[in-house]
Amino acid sequence: MNRLPLLIRMAWRNLWRHPPRTLLILFAFVLGVWSIVVLAAYGRGALEQQIERSIDNLTAHVQIHATGYRDDPVIDHRLPPPGPALRTALAQADVTAWAARVRVPAVVASERESAGIVLVGIEPARERGLSFIAEAVHAGRYLDADDDPGLLLGRKLAERLETGLGRRVVVMSQDANNQIADRGFRVVGIFDGSPEAMETGYVFIGRATAQQMLKLGDSVSELAVLASSRDRLDGLVMRLRAASPESDVQPWTTLEPLLVLAEELSGTILTIWYLIVFTAMSFGLVNTLLMAVFERIREFGLFQALGMPPRLILGMVLAESVILLALALTVGNLLAGATLLSLKGGIDLSAFAEGLEMFGFSPIIYPMITAADFVTANVLVFVLGVVACLYPAWRAARYAPVQAITRI
Amino acid sequence: MAITLRLAWRNLWRNPRRTWFTASAIAFITVLLIFIITLQMGAFDMMLDTSLRVFTGQMQIQREGYLDKPQMRVTVARAQNLAGSLRRATGLPGIAVRANGFALAASGTRSYGVPVVGVEPAHESAVSTIPRLIRQGRYLANDTAQELVVGAVLARNLKIKVGDELTLLGAGMDGSVAATVLPVVGLFESGSPELDRHLVEMPLQTFQEVFSMGQEAHALVISGPSLERMAATQVLVRQHMPQDPALVLLDWEKLLPGVKQVMQADIIEHWFLYIVLILVVTFSILNTFLMSVLERTREFGIMLALGATPLGIGRLVLLESTLLTLLGLAIGIVLGGGIALYFNYYGFTFKGMQELYSQFGFAGVITPKITFVNVMTGPAVIFAFTVAAALYPAWRIRRLRIVEAMHAVH
Amino acid sequence: MSLLFWGTATAAPPEDAAAIVKRAIDYWRDVSSYSVIDMTIHRPDWERTMTIRIWTRGQKESLVRVVAPPKDAGNATLLLDNDMWSFTPKINRVIKIPSSMMNQSWMGSDFSNNDLAKADDLIEQYTHKLLRTGTHDGRKVYVIDSTPKETAPVVWGHEVIAIRDDWLILEHAFYDQQNVLVKKLVTSDIRPMGGKLVAARERMQKLDKPGEWTEVVTREVRFNIPIAAGTFTLSNLRNPRE
Repeated sequence: MNRLPLLIRMAWRNLWRHPPRTLLILFAFVLGVWSIVVLAAYGRGALEQQIERSIDNLTAHVQIHATGYRDDPVIDHRLPPPGPALRTALAQADVTAWAARVRVPAVVASERESAGIVLVGIEPARERGLSFIAEAVHAGRYLDADDDPGLLLGRKLAERLETGLGRRVVVMSQDANNQIADRGFRVVGIFDGSPEAMETGYVFIGRATAQQMLKLGDSVSELAVLASSRDRLDGLVMRLRAASPESDVQPWTTLEPLLVLAEELSGTILTIWYLIVFTAMSFGLVNTLLMAVFERIREFGLFQALGMPPRLILGMVLAESVILLALALTVGNLLAGATLLSLKGGIDLSAFAEGLEMFGFSPIIYPMITAADFVTANVLVFVLGVVACLYPAWRAARYAPVQAITRI
Repeated sequence: MAITLRLAWRNLWRNPRRTWFTASAIAFITVLLIFIITLQMGAFDMMLDTSLRVFTGQMQIQREGYLDKPQMRVTVARAQNLAGSLRRATGLPGIAVRANGFALAASGTRSYGVPVVGVEPAHESAVSTIPRLIRQGRYLANDTAQELVVGAVLARNLKIKVGDELTLLGAGMDGSVAATVLPVVGLFESGSPELDRHLVEMPLQTFQEVFSMGQEAHALVISGPSLERMAATQVLVRQHMPQDPALVLLDWEKLLPGVKQVMQADIIEHWFLYIVLILVVTFSILNTFLMSVLERTREFGIMLALGATPLGIGRLVLLESTLLTLLGLAIGIVLGGGIALYFNYYGFTFKGMQELYSQFGFAGVITPKITFVNVMTGPAVIFAFTVAAALYPAWRIRRLRIVEAMHAVH
Repeated sequence: MSLLFWGTATAAPPEDAAAIVKRAIDYWRDVSSYSVIDMTIHRPDWERTMTIRIWTRGQKESLVRVVAPPKDAGNATLLLDNDMWSFTPKINRVIKIPSSMMNQSWMGSDFSNNDLAKADDLIEQYTHKLLRTGTHDGRKVYVIDSTPKETAPVVWGHEVIAIRDDWLILEHAFYDQQNVLVKKLVTSDIRPMGGKLVAARERMQKLDKPGEWTEVVTREVRFNIPIAAGTFTLSNLRNPRE
């Protein structure tokens, strides 16, 4: 072990015998490491945004409905307001927010057009921080109270209806007695949503206003619950089920199974990408080291003749590659970090916004690096890099001294 | 030239291991690019083809203005005759007439406003997968059958099943009341949530009768034999289409705007990856090129002394690099093409993909699309990058001085 | 009954816009009515006319039945308050029109289902203001601006109604919320029918589509008549008794 510092010193000096060569391979590796980290962050960011957006877009972490609502979301399937047991279950530390909603199919009409939508009655204060809607109002104001008389309209829908902020629209639906319920609302806020279906498919009013209009009494359509983390919701779901046994309590993973699948799939794709980039890099690495080894065969022979054991030669060549890898990883990670920092504002793909939004992707991707992705990428490159260098190192150690020295 | 070429080729094999390594790096990236690009293009085609096949068709003939504002009176006159003569003239089997209406669909307990489409059952299956995606019951029998097929989700929401009657109430083309009660003979699951939740199909002549449309309809939906031959199909149809300025031939890009953009965004995203990969490989290769020049400094010095020009040596080195690249590319193209061919034959899929795709009604098995452009784009870009990389060592040679070079200790 | 209205009309201050509108609506609908109208739907490339019989009682009950052309004969609509049912003899079924269809056109005309169902809205859901007065055939005309209340299920910004002092509505204009005139109902052909003066011709015209209009010509009308019990019922909608 005491030979290690010497080994490293020698390896370091060897590396800089041909600075252009070392710099080139270093550059190739830095580029590889940089691309792995940046692309992992990009992919993770895109996926994370998709999941978070869906959770933000009314899905939340857990939803409670009347049995049958999920299959047939009409006014007939409704919930009583949360009772004491459910309220206690919702008051615990792992619940960060919850809100009741009225959610029924309806039609919104302006002077010129009408459109089928989902009418959502929200509790503005509770909904803040639970879903996108409070932050998404870009013109006018958010709702003030459960009985706010105003209405929030999506930007695209406002365009389609040829109406706008401050104007009145009429909402029509069926009330709890299956009679036509209609009411005029002033548009007090225009919101942005992504995907576009959020803007065109949903209209928000106060929860109490909705209950009054639809003759619902105090019943609601859904309770949306946000937990402190979107993972490990089993305990919370169990507790809510126990507190509200007649209802249908489901976590987001059940409500949005496609997202779970996409998450699994993107993990696989990222790993494949790591391996591909690594393979591309390893050709250069092994080639460079092999060359470095072959031009020093006489030297290695001499070392051996002077009594240096082959495993030390192996160790020295390996040390060279370890230093190279460590350097590449350090610089690559630093560059990637700098790149990600400069992309904090998001990567703008809005040139393709129309198509992307149609399929529920955001035109702006915010890269996100997770500790797991970072460690996986680095460990993978390092370990595989060392493994790839075993061959040149083994070649270096294998030459018999005489053979090596006599070789020209 | 022949001598230089032979010289360059022989020089390559002075260090066969290095040459093979470099060539394999190029071959690897070539194989990868050929595989991914053909796969991606194949995936696009599959998605596009699947989406178009569900309902839209590759192109449609409509009356001018109908696409922007689909009003019932904006029709194609004597549509079935037109479709018949087009089928005969073009030889295309995939031409089907459709008429579109809107009606209140009411079952005993529920009612929804839904689009109702009149179709030619005999031809519809050539332009739409819905006839084959009947999950329960059967598809419409013929043009005059008094029956309906509806989306499975719509049926569930209406709380009806095969054999139940559905009431349709709407307005006919002449403004008269269009109403009918017809039995539902089949439920379809197209994979498109939009269609499954809303659509009602009925035989064309039944539709024309109910909606007082006479012989008129709204669209001739056309699908050629394959996506690859879509452009040719379009030309063919345009040739034989009646010279009526009121009729327009609309391709899928007009019928489904947005789809093209998604593909473009995806291609750009992928090219970012490709370029990174190519750069990584290029820098690795540049190393080989550079070293092969550096270690031969003495040799070049001697060549200069013997009267060779730096330019000539530079050309030799460049030729060596080019040959090396071409060797790698050739191996890569053969291997990559082989892999693409293999999957082209057997189909490509992996775990999770099938589930994900089937949610959108896609098969989940991708057939790489092998075209000259798809196979050669990757190699061409790699070639450009590596040759650009090889310029640097070649350029360095111009700075060689005879004496210094000859004294260079390697 | 109508005598009573005449009496109160002279007693109330005529400048009370809301009262004028209420009088006009009451005059138009009366306690009950029965009428036969021809409704012509005109489009640039076609035109069709339907003959329709209408029974009304108060402001919340109406029954509409098509008698010609033969193709549409028997189609009927029952309105009870905001709810609407449709009967089609072709399929011999009564269908309740859901809220999602209320904005659809009624029988292909320029009237929507809502226009029919909301006959009484003008009284309950608006605030009225007298804009000015004018004259028509030597009679005083009140021009009243009617603005829907905040929560009224009305999409218009405001409406301007010209009412003659004998409570005939001469004009009813619909403005959007940016004060652009969208459509206008103009009545003409004022003559005595069914015991009082009636504007026998009404035309609804959309301003941005000059070639499209719907015209209603009253052929016969009776007011304040006894209407058989059970007229405004689903069973009568399906099996007409008269």
